Amino acid sequence: MTEILAVRNLTRRFGGLAAVDNVSFTVSRGEIVGVMGANGAGKTTLFSMIAGSISPSAGTIQLCGKPIHGLSPDRVNRLGVARTFQIVRPFSALTVLENVAAAMMYGSRRIAHRRDAEEQAAVLLDIVGLLPRAHSLARELTLAGRKRLEVARALATGPQLLLLDEVLAGLTSVEVSAALELVRELHERQGLTIVIIEHVMRALMRLSHRIVVLHHGRKIAEGAPDQVADDPIVVDAYFGKSRNVAAAS
Amino acid sequence: MNGLATSSLSPRVAAPFARAVGVMAALGLLVAAPLFVGQYGMSVAFNLFQSIALAESWLLVSGLTGYISLGHAVFVGLGSYVMAVCFAFIPFWAVIPLGGVAAGALALVLGYPALRVRGPYFVILTFGIAELAKFVVVTIESAVGNFGRILIDVPDISVLYELMFGIAVLAFVLVSTVQRSRFGVALRAIREDETAAETIGINVRLAKVSAFALSGIIPGMVGAVMAMRSAYFEPMVAFSPMVSFAIVTTAMIGGSDTPLGPLLGAVLLVGASELLQAQAPEIYQIILGVVLVVFVLRVPEGIHGRMVSWIKRREPPRR
Repeated sequence: MTEILAVRNLTRRFGGLAAVDNVSFTVSRGEIVGVMGANGAGKTTLFSMIAGSISPSAGTIQLCGKPIHGLSPDRVNRLGVARTFQIVRPFSALTVLENVAAAMMYGSRRIAHRRDAEEQAAVLLDIVGLLPRAHSLARELTLAGRKRLEVARALATGPQLLLLDEVLAGLTSVEVSAALELVRELHERQGLTIVIIEHVMRALMRLSHRIVVLHHGRKIAEGAPDQVADDPIVVDAYFGKSRNVAAAS
Repeated sequence: MNGLATSSLSPRVAAPFARAVGVMAALGLLVAAPLFVGQYGMSVAFNLFQSIALAESWLLVSGLTGYISLGHAVFVGLGSYVMAVCFAFIPFWAVIPLGGVAAGALALVLGYPALRVRGPYFVILTFGIAELAKFVVVTIESAVGNFGRILIDVPDISVLYELMFGIAVLAFVLVSTVQRSRFGVALRAIREDETAAETIGINVRLAKVSAFALSGIIPGMVGAVMAMRSAYFEPMVAFSPMVSFAIVTTAMIGGSDTPLGPLLGAVLLVGASELLQAQAPEIYQIILGVVLVVFVLRVPEGIHGRMVSWIKRREPPRR
């Protein structure tokens, strides 16, 4: 499989604190890679560096072999990286359709005419199940709806690599199942490469081909979901040593 | 795509023929107005067109991007200054676009650093820059021994009326075009969430600075015509912050991010000014102040915004 993303020795310091510390991993085309870690582990900072919102203090990021670290977020997006936000950021006073059409007109597709962009945006809204709300203002959607809108807007930019930051957080169990189904469908139907941060562990385990575990900014484990779940270092980091000792005994 | 998408997104039917004819007839009537309207009528209409043009230009940057400029007087003043300096030796019709280009260039230079900050900081910064520019011009003028420039043999009010009418139409068309364009969508996305706008591939810095530069052109042209109207240039008047306040007030009372908002705001304010100045000259500023307070508190979305929501309430719900 061809390598689409290569993160090497990536570090980001905020003052004396290393939010991400010497992290390296790769993502192959068509893979779903999960990024796991407790709050403050550096997951979102890692995403922000890949998407260009934060520049790394050290290390490199390559997309299809070309360096993208230090580029502005709009340039990174035009090269094919799209992201969603943990705390949703829709264009609230724009309609759902306009939100997605805006992304169609920019990103890597750069559709010149608004009407063409809106027609293609409607197709995407149909896929994510928001077509009936196309003419509602984004602020009128429920949280689940706004999360779907974030995914649709990211997809509308025509990404090679989709970064999903906690798209399931705050959803009900029914909404989680529907959202998982959507991610799986996007992966299968559109052949998208996805890196996903998720707090819902079971979901992440089911969805990902491979998982990278961060703890205090460092990568402590990487591998297939089963392998990672059984890794004593990961169990230590998540449940503490006593739990691990108790489990062993 | 299902039936819903095709029905709700199908291309809209072209504007009715009657409406197009109505607009053309109104425009024709306004062009021909000097033939049957007296000096007073032309003078009021001149103020109205000036107010429309300035508020439309302000809408281009502040309405669409949410960066509230309180310094548009600097572009008006510069346009006036260019006219005052060039009037004697360059034909006035050539100086008007020159004023626009000079103001647009100034907006480009100022916009680059100023648009790094937003919210109240941007408001104060634009106000400060306009005041700074005013005193720079005052200093230059006194250094060369000028305390005001008189423009001799300015064109007749009927000519100035047509010029200001043309600029107002230009401003309206410019805002309509931008608002419907891809660029307009980017500006509205920036207003809603700049970080999210960047992540969908919008070059936020470039879009903001371009909008600001474009927004400076119209006031530059308006300022050039205003200088001929008063036949006199005095920096403290031409760069007066009252111009900026009037622009913001007109646009806010009009409301919305469509070009109709400033149009309605200008009609209401210029109409009210004329009426009150004639009927109650002692208290007309007070009444205008009260109107503004009422709008800010009770109708923050402006006249156009209120009209749109009123029409929406009467429409059957869209499924």
